[in-house]
Amino acid sequence: MAKAAKTNTEDYLRMYTQMVRIRAFEDNANQLYLSAKMPGLTHMYSGQEAVAVGICEALTPDDKITSTHRGHGHCVAKGAEFKAMFCELLGKEEGYCRGKGGSMHIADQSNGNLGANAIVGGSMGIATGAALSSKMQKSGQVAVCFFGDGATAQGLWYEVMNMAALWGLPVIYACENNGYSEYTKTDEIAAGSITARAEAFGIESYDLDGQDVLAVNDLTQKLVARCRKGEGPFFMNLKTYRYHGHHVGDINRDYYRTKDEEAEWKTTRDPITNFGKWLEGEKIVTAEELVAINDSVRQEAEEAVAYALDAKYPDVSEVDMHVYVA
Amino acid sequence: MREITLSKAVNEAIAEEMRRDPTVFLMGEDVAEAGTPFKVLSGLVEEFGTERVIDTPISEPGFVGLAVGAAMTGTRPIVDLMFGDFIFLVMDQLCNQAAKTHYMSGGKLSVPMVLRTNMGATRRSAAQHSQSLHALVAHIPGLKVAMPSSAYEAKGLMKTAIRDNNPVVIFEDKLMYQDKAPVPEEEYLIPFGVANVKREGSDITLIGTSSMVQVAEAAAEILAKEGISAEVIDPRTIVPLDEETLIKSVRKTSRAIVIDEGHQSYGVTGEIAARLNEKAFYHLDAPVVRMGAMDVPVPFSPALEDITVPTAEGVAAMARKLCAGEMIHAA
Amino acid sequence: MPLDVIMPALGMAQDSGVIVSWLKQPGDAVAEGDALFEVETDKATMEVEAQGKGYLTDVTAAAGEAVPVGQVIAQISDTAEGSGKPPAPKSGAEPAPASEASGRTMPEGREVIMPALGMAQDSGLLVSWQKAPGDKVGADDTLFEVETDKAAMEVPAGFDGYIAALLAEAGEDIPVGGVVAIISKDKPEEPFAQSAASVGRPAPSTKAPMPEKAETADGTPAAAKPKPTTPVTAPRADGRILASPKARRLALERGLDLQRLVDAGHAQPFHVRDLEALAHLPSASAGPAPAPGSAARRLSAEVAADGFDDLCLWASDSLGIGDANALLAGFAAACLRRDDTPLTVDVVAFGSVQAYADPDRPWLGQATAHSPEGVPALRIRDLRHSALCSVEMGPEDCPTLTLTQRGATVSVTLECGADQLSAEAALTLLTGFAGRMEQPLRHLL
Repeated sequence: MAKAAKTNTEDYLRMYTQMVRIRAFEDNANQLYLSAKMPGLTHMYSGQEAVAVGICEALTPDDKITSTHRGHGHCVAKGAEFKAMFCELLGKEEGYCRGKGGSMHIADQSNGNLGANAIVGGSMGIATGAALSSKMQKSGQVAVCFFGDGATAQGLWYEVMNMAALWGLPVIYACENNGYSEYTKTDEIAAGSITARAEAFGIESYDLDGQDVLAVNDLTQKLVARCRKGEGPFFMNLKTYRYHGHHVGDINRDYYRTKDEEAEWKTTRDPITNFGKWLEGEKIVTAEELVAINDSVRQEAEEAVAYALDAKYPDVSEVDMHVYVA
Repeated sequence: MREITLSKAVNEAIAEEMRRDPTVFLMGEDVAEAGTPFKVLSGLVEEFGTERVIDTPISEPGFVGLAVGAAMTGTRPIVDLMFGDFIFLVMDQLCNQAAKTHYMSGGKLSVPMVLRTNMGATRRSAAQHSQSLHALVAHIPGLKVAMPSSAYEAKGLMKTAIRDNNPVVIFEDKLMYQDKAPVPEEEYLIPFGVANVKREGSDITLIGTSSMVQVAEAAAEILAKEGISAEVIDPRTIVPLDEETLIKSVRKTSRAIVIDEGHQSYGVTGEIAARLNEKAFYHLDAPVVRMGAMDVPVPFSPALEDITVPTAEGVAAMARKLCAGEMIHAA
Repeated sequence: MPLDVIMPALGMAQDSGVIVSWLKQPGDAVAEGDALFEVETDKATMEVEAQGKGYLTDVTAAAGEAVPVGQVIAQISDTAEGSGKPPAPKSGAEPAPASEASGRTMPEGREVIMPALGMAQDSGLLVSWQKAPGDKVGADDTLFEVETDKAAMEVPAGFDGYIAALLAEAGEDIPVGGVVAIISKDKPEEPFAQSAASVGRPAPSTKAPMPEKAETADGTPAAAKPKPTTPVTAPRADGRILASPKARRLALERGLDLQRLVDAGHAQPFHVRDLEALAHLPSASAGPAPAPGSAARRLSAEVAADGFDDLCLWASDSLGIGDANALLAGFAAACLRRDDTPLTVDVVAFGSVQAYADPDRPWLGQATAHSPEGVPALRIRDLRHSALCSVEMGPEDCPTLTLTQRGATVSVTLECGADQLSAEAALTLLTGFAGRMEQPLRHLL
């Protein structure tokens, strides 16, 4: 755990709570899917919570993020509410996108989330474009582009990094390197160093432990501040781990990774457990208080699920609404 | 009225809109000092500076992606795609991202951007710089598609496109950049989805897009000398399409030829013909005929290239057959 | 609280999963992450892990069962006893014999089919098998006896080898081409016999397609397809008239019969301009033999005039209804009506036309007249006060009832095209109308 002065109890507790919220959201989403109550397909963020929370806690609601198919964590971390999220997952009218986006396309414009994207690497241009318009409009906003290690194989990234570096855009490329590109070890699909690729464009790059929420948050705060001063772009390669398979349903994955490896990450490197221990150790909270946080978040999630299950579907008249801006 | 080239008309439209709205900016390959290979944008960088007229690397998916993100966050980019053929490179950003963002976000996000590019064969540029690919994007809900047929349309449609809150793709015929037409000095806009009846007639309706409007008009001239009265209609935008005007005309004339420079198969001609068939069937006295570009990659040799696109003579010959009640492809 | 073990949704578009095997038995202790059962989805076979620890209990689905996703199939309980409830009946635990039979994999070998032996034979009755499963056979050995429409015959095996499977039973009628046996090269390990009915009708072997019958039912060679010609002047062999959609619509609207253009030898396809020629053709009766669709009907009846006259007087005096035309229209509509479709009757009298929409709906003679519009269902010409005593006008654009009067007798003549009213409908209309004219009470009742 990175050394951090015991300066801001409220921030720490908020980060802890946000990570717990993501985990609770995903546990419920997983269950909804397995029990055939949720249509479509979905990808769990569990295990990577420190990345989304560490980064988003360094942003203001006006700052922009673009998210991925594994995007529930980013959405929660950027400030979204459970009810509208579960409604969206279930295709209900009260969902963030009125049920038209679903798990892979949640956008929450009110909190600066420009949307999850079901095309791997598909949002790299959008995030960079948001940074371009921030620079043109001198809004001071920073854009964070979340993507996985698999997306580093997309040519688009190199095109937009080139332009971001040329024009000094306030964008942070955050690679959530969970070690697996869908069902394949990243080592098998990525040559050389991923960090070096960004560095080749003259982009300042960082390798860091994506399980350490304080380390992620500290670095992001610094980079965001520098972006606002016109020193962007930056690249972060965050080493993390996805607890579930590529998608819900990818349960027999011995052929690409071992149960021992999964158990190792879950028991020794869980971002929530470890941060909780640190909070206790620093006497910021007691074990009981952590349990209380967990319980209250779980209850909130379950209530939101129940609410979403009962919520109504959009009227069929909405089917051709929002194809074009009126 | 003064006459200006189509190129100048586009340039004026962009300049006027950039003066009017500071969030409008221009980006693409060689758009600044070079003013594009066709010199359409010359002079804009001098007035608006490199901050608003941005030269990009040769990274079509990259800069179209940037435009999508910029459009989602408060600016109104005009992206210049040097050749329409490069649209294949930007399909994901245009069709998966720009076209769907408004819908997938339940109406919360929008992408007010313009992609201006070109089309048109017979410039001896062979198969990768001569295609007319507007049907590809017209197929995707969420995109609007404009096809100016003269300098007048080019200016009015461009100004409307820039003010539209949706992603709009404008296809300019690169062979028409130097064609002059009367264009008023005072400001005007041409609304989308309103067809222009270029010439009234009673025997047959010739529906043409972009440069094929000129082909249709020339065919109508030929036919007039033979006593056949052809009505010529320019839809101006194919998405949205002014179906009503087309159907009204065909109900009057009972016959129609649809002319477009895209490949004939699965194209704009087929779409319009199908709508006429569905909505004017009981008024048809002859089959609705499609005349598109031949279904071959555009050849380089002038001897071959010229026969791939519809001509006024070809259209007139077909119109003659239809008006004479000759059987077209029927047993 | 026990945890439900559910059949998980794992595939992209998966409705159910088949339990391949249980990896734990009821009562076994399980830990979270232990593999509980194996499931086969559209994608692959996967092991499903326990979501919590406890004892596996209340197992309600057995290996081999297909279970809808989301269904609870067991519980992980705090005790090995679980809920103590008896397990729910196992859906699909007793597979139907048919599906078992059809699930049997067919042995490899040559297919013996039901041969086509007669001229117009669709199937053969399998009389008896001459060999049993597992028997060695030679190509010329008689394999089975079959009865066709002609006689009983012995069918040779056709191949050397062993009977690996008999796929039909004696007494079964097997379609020609259906596979009835499999002869394997090597001695089969598990030869078997089953009935064709147990697996549905055997499909004709694709290897032995039935030859196309070269002759039509009456023995004449099939007609060659008419060659397309441009333009067409002779009537097409298929009877179809080539005409533009607009020409067809206008012909219909104007009551013109395109067939008459065909008969007159006009070149097809017909366009709008041809309708002018059609309109100027001499009338059908003067032309060549009329087409079946344009035949005319003419029926007439005579009734005493006073019945209707009395009714008119009574209606006028007692009810203040002075519109005799409405009464006529009402009578006719009542006799013409088949269903609730709107029905208009035009009445032509004293040189003016009045239209009545559904005149049989308001009570007696209270229908109001409006100006005519389009072609009515029926036209009534009231010529009772003219000098005419009989008419023969031929079919018009709609059925027409003409009233003429001679002394105290009213003649009612119905004329229409055969395609406008069936013979039965025409008779019903005229009989009903004439009856009402004579005895208006019939209408009121």
